[in-house]
Amino acid sequence: MTVSALIIAAVFVVVFALFAFYDVVTSRRRKVKYRIWTAMTAYLMLLPAIVLAFLFVLLPILYSLGYAFTDYYLLKPNNISYIGFENFKQVFQEIAGRGTLYHALINTTEFVVGVVPLQIGLALALALFVNKTYKSAKVFKVCFFAPVVISLSVTSFLWLQILSPSEKGLLNSLLGVLGVKPRDWLRDPATAMPCIIVLSAWQGCGYQMLIVLSGLSNIQQNLYEAASLDGAGAWHKFTAVTWPGLRSTFVYIIITVFIGACRILTQPMLMTGYQDHTVTLSYYMYQQGYTYRWVGYSSAVALLMTIVIGTITLIQRRVFREKD
Amino acid sequence: MKKLVNFLLVLTLACVTTLSVVACGGSATDGESGEVDPATGNTIVKILFHVDEKSTEGQAYKKRIEAFNAAYKDKNIKASATYKARSAGAAGYETELLNNQVSGTLADIITFDAPNTASYANSELLYDITSLVPKDVQDDFFSLNTYGGKLYGLPIQESSAGFYYNKKIFREHGIDVSSYTVENPWTFAQFKDVCKQLKDSGVTAVDMRIDATKDETATYLLYPFIYAAGGEFTSADGYTATGYFNSSKTADGFNFIKSLIEEGYTSYAIGATDFFDGSVGMYLSSGWTIPDLDHKYKAVFASRDDWGLLPYPKSEVAASATGSWSFGITNNHHTDKTAAKELLLWLASTESSEAITTATGMIPARKSVNTDYEQGSPEYTLLKQLETSGRERPVTVAYPTFSTCFNQVVSALGSGDVTSLLNTQANTLQNEMNRLK
Repeated sequence: MTVSALIIAAVFVVVFALFAFYDVVTSRRRKVKYRIWTAMTAYLMLLPAIVLAFLFVLLPILYSLGYAFTDYYLLKPNNISYIGFENFKQVFQEIAGRGTLYHALINTTEFVVGVVPLQIGLALALALFVNKTYKSAKVFKVCFFAPVVISLSVTSFLWLQILSPSEKGLLNSLLGVLGVKPRDWLRDPATAMPCIIVLSAWQGCGYQMLIVLSGLSNIQQNLYEAASLDGAGAWHKFTAVTWPGLRSTFVYIIITVFIGACRILTQPMLMTGYQDHTVTLSYYMYQQGYTYRWVGYSSAVALLMTIVIGTITLIQRRVFREKD
Repeated sequence: MKKLVNFLLVLTLACVTTLSVVACGGSATDGESGEVDPATGNTIVKILFHVDEKSTEGQAYKKRIEAFNAAYKDKNIKASATYKARSAGAAGYETELLNNQVSGTLADIITFDAPNTASYANSELLYDITSLVPKDVQDDFFSLNTYGGKLYGLPIQESSAGFYYNKKIFREHGIDVSSYTVENPWTFAQFKDVCKQLKDSGVTAVDMRIDATKDETATYLLYPFIYAAGGEFTSADGYTATGYFNSSKTADGFNFIKSLIEEGYTSYAIGATDFFDGSVGMYLSSGWTIPDLDHKYKAVFASRDDWGLLPYPKSEVAASATGSWSFGITNNHHTDKTAAKELLLWLASTESSEAITTATGMIPARKSVNTDYEQGSPEYTLLKQLETSGRERPVTVAYPTFSTCFNQVVSALGSGDVTSLLNTQANTLQNEMNRLK
């Protein structure tokens, strides 16, 4: 491991120096002639941030990239071999054979498709609700934001009580008043993922509500006044002023909520355990990498997942940019 | 042009990382002897425990370590203990252990859960201690952690499970189970008959813990039903699941549990404390429930006259749960295992076994510990059951996958077809075994 770290550190220094050298050499072409020491000073000032980013962002990604092409088994860290694309082949075989990875892919898609519009819709509704000047608005803001600061483990445990299959479970006892029979919400494949979607949207929407609120504050009031003078009602004001004014805010929210949703892990892990009807891609990776100890294979899944999420995110950005 | 240069630089970095990952795979130091403290000249033996230092069990280990250090002061051996409580999340004991293994900082002795013996031994994480432990000491244990005919661990204490029952409820409804003893265990049919009597009396019959599928609990408590029905999980070498995990006998065992759900004797909805609140007739659990019933739930269980323990029911054969945590020497870079052997034998001694089990209330791992349990008492039932019908979980390198597959079957028993569930999970388990061959 020490030798490995030294090699990577040496490569890092070389790459860093190459970047600096390239910058200086090409500076003349860009009509901003640098002196070598000026460039070095600038790069040295950047160094602390770059080192931290390298150590905690780039290096783990690169390690993961490297492991994806090996047979790394967690209990045999001293016996790693390069196996080419074997892990990737296995990933596609697992999907084709409708194994657990196939279920993880379907469940994650279901979660993303469910939670992104729900969470953003809730955030917008809550933001519009509290974007008023009445006294209790601040209280509502705090209440709506509170779930965000509670850890996901705690909220998952809280919802476990709400969704308890027992007749005494909160939801079952409420529905019991209406004559509905108790259900095992989290064990039933038809209801488990919708429940996780609802709790996740509830937990996360407070944060997006704040972002929408800041977006709302950037919309000039005179636009609303002009719309009023033109005889626009509340709905027309929303569609003609508020919605276009929040476009850039929504681009940011959609992308971040989408990426966060793709990485869902805690809720299914704590609420249902490793079950085909709720397993997600991140949970699958965790199970393969830590519980089953196949770090190489797990890294291959992670790499493919990163490529897919990255591609979709780029498409999203391109689509929204074109519309702007 | 600049984009191409950036791409090439990142690609170079990635390739070098890959090569360094592969190239440095075998970089652990070899040939080093045990760690010696230069100030005192003591050989330091590091040990990692799976419990919190402040817990009752942790305190018992701590006292035995202190006693060891006092006894071995003249021999210049010193034990240094680290405590990392196990938990279900990512920060748990297993993660700590695996991280230590990856970083090359594995302790000389570790505690490990018995089902991990095969995978740890197969991966050479554990050291073969066959020649280090005298034969008479080995013979004194109820069970040993063996794999491939070699010894890899010595149990700290033993565990077994059974059906705790609420005597007040049984008396109230005239249900007599006095003839079902560990010497004369009840059958599946008799077990179901008692469940029926309880249900007919308006009481939830039994908490089988079928909801406890997020960790090892359900596997540990329910696997004996499959053995009792004549089923198996894997071949003897632990590398074949097809034909074992999905055999008709294995299906019989799971179908029995399924029938308990379908006939309304148990369910996934039974709350964790329902038995302790006095609303459930029976509760399947391990020996660790004894201290809880003795001390924590006085309102319902004022004394031992209010509760009892029944053995596992039998079908074709009698089978009961076994297996607890063990001590093992690791295959870390310290090649001199002499000092580690001394500490291992000290911790696995009769004195240590007695001291630790006195604190935990579990069954001693060694036969020579004077248990002196009163005949018919819960402790006596667990001990005798261990001796007569105890059977360990399958010894396989794919144990984590086995446990997941077992849990998935139990979790879907309420709604799924057993044969179909077993075929799916047998296929998953077999694939994992093939990967590990």
